[in-house]
Amino acid sequence: MAAAAGSSVSMRVRPCLYANRISSLKSFSLPNQRSFLSFRVRPVPTRLRVSCAAKPETVEKVCAIVKKQLALSPETVVTGESKFLALGADSLDTVEIVMGLEEEFDISVEEESAQSIATVQDAADLIEKLVEKKSA
Amino acid sequence: MKMRCCFQRSFCSASSSLVPVQLPSPMETHFWYVLPDQVKSVSLLNQYMGLLSPIEKENVLSMPGHQLQKRALLARALVRTTIARYQINGHVDPRSLKFKKNIHGKPEVVWQSEDGWCQPHLHFNISHSSSMIACGVTSNSRIGIDVEEKQRKIKNNILAFARRYFSLHEIEYLSSISDSEVQHQEFIKLWTLKEAYVKALGKGFSAAPFKTFTIHVKTDYKRSFVLAEDLLFEASEIMVESLNDPKSLTSSWQFALLELVGSHYAAICMEKDKSIKVGMKVPVRLTAWKTIPFVEDECVSGTDAVIPIGGLIKL
Repeated sequence: MAAAAGSSVSMRVRPCLYANRISSLKSFSLPNQRSFLSFRVRPVPTRLRVSCAAKPETVEKVCAIVKKQLALSPETVVTGESKFLALGADSLDTVEIVMGLEEEFDISVEEESAQSIATVQDAADLIEKLVEKKSA
Repeated sequence: MKMRCCFQRSFCSASSSLVPVQLPSPMETHFWYVLPDQVKSVSLLNQYMGLLSPIEKENVLSMPGHQLQKRALLARALVRTTIARYQINGHVDPRSLKFKKNIHGKPEVVWQSEDGWCQPHLHFNISHSSSMIACGVTSNSRIGIDVEEKQRKIKNNILAFARRYFSLHEIEYLSSISDSEVQHQEFIKLWTLKEAYVKALGKGFSAAPFKTFTIHVKTDYKRSFVLAEDLLFEASEIMVESLNDPKSLTSSWQFALLELVGSHYAAICMEKDKSIKVGMKVPVRLTAWKTIPFVEDECVSGTDAVIPIGGLIKL
C-alpha cells in the first residue's frame, strides 16, 4: 500500500502545480485513488474538489510548526489528519500557528480561511494553494 | 447574602449528589471553575468518566497524552455537573443531559420537554487553559467566557500579532505601552475579552473576525464600595464597537474582566437584559465557585481568588 502510494505521489505532484491551467488533471490529485476509472464513478468530497492534496514535505513542515507551538513531546504523533483542537490547541494557539505558517511559507492567510483550518492537512492544502497563487 | 457565602464550604462525600443551586437571576453570571492539578484521585476521575456520553468518552480518549485527556474529561464533567445542579424540573442526573451544537457550532443543552413545560433558558459557555477549566452560566442571556494564564507565552511578537489580528484602535493602545510585561498582560486581557464576545455571539469566528470589532476600555474611574451586602466594583467601562456595522446593538453586551487565583485572566461577556434601557449602566452580578464536582464547592466571590479588574461588577 505504501509503495503504491509512493509511486502515485510523484505522479500527483507535478500535475498539481498546473492544476489551474489544466483542469482535467485535477482528477490525478486525489489521494488513495487506485485507478482513474474509480474516481469517475465515486462522489468526490467537496474539499478535494477545490484543492489538491499537499505535498508530504509541506505536511511535515506544518506538523513541525504545530508541535513547536503546542510544545508537544517528540513522541506525540502528528499527521495530516490530526485536528488542532484534538492536540490540545485552543483558539490562540491556532492563530499563532497560522502566523508561524505565514512566516515559514511567506504567505498571507485571510482571517476567514484561517478559521476554517481544522486539521494539519487543511493547513498544508491552504498553504500550497496560496504559494501557488503567489508564483502563478 | 453573597458575602456570607464566602465562608460557607459545603463538603460532600464522593457518593453524594451535587449541591443544588438556584438559577442565576437576570444580569447575573454564575462562574464555576476547577483546577485540574487539584483533582488527583483516580476513582474520582473514573466517576467523571462515567458521566460522559459514548462520543464524549471517545473524544477524551483520543487526546494525545494523559494531561490532555484529563483536561478534556474535566471539561465535560464540569459542564454536566454544573448544569445538573440547577435542578430545574426535579433531580437531574448529569449523565442524562444531552447536548447539541447550534447551526454555528456553539454547544447547547437539549432539554427534554415533559408535558410541554416551558424550556428553561439556561445558557452556558466553557473555556479552559492548561491549568483551569471554567464554566459560566446565565438565565435568559447569551454568554461567552474565556480564561487564559496571565503568563501564557506568546510565540510571536505581540505587536506583529496585534497588527495581524486586532483592530486599529487596539493596535494603537498596545503600541502605546512601553513596558513589555504590561503590554503582554494587556494583550492577554484584550484577547480574552474579544474571545468572550465572539463566543457569546455564538455565530462562529467568521461572523465576527477579530479585526472587525474593537473593545474599548474606559478607565476614568476606578473605585469599589460596599452597597448594602454587595461589593460593587467599578473597575472600568468596557464596550464593544462593531466596525462593520456601527449601528448594530453592540451596546447590548456587557463585560466583566477578572483576575483569578492570581494566575489567570477571565473575561465574561453577557447579553444585557432586554428591559434595561440603552445607555443605562448596570453591573454584572457575579457569583463564583471553585469546585471539585462531588467533592467540594467553595464560593470564592468576594475573596482574593476573584479580583474584578475590568467592567462594572457586583459581587
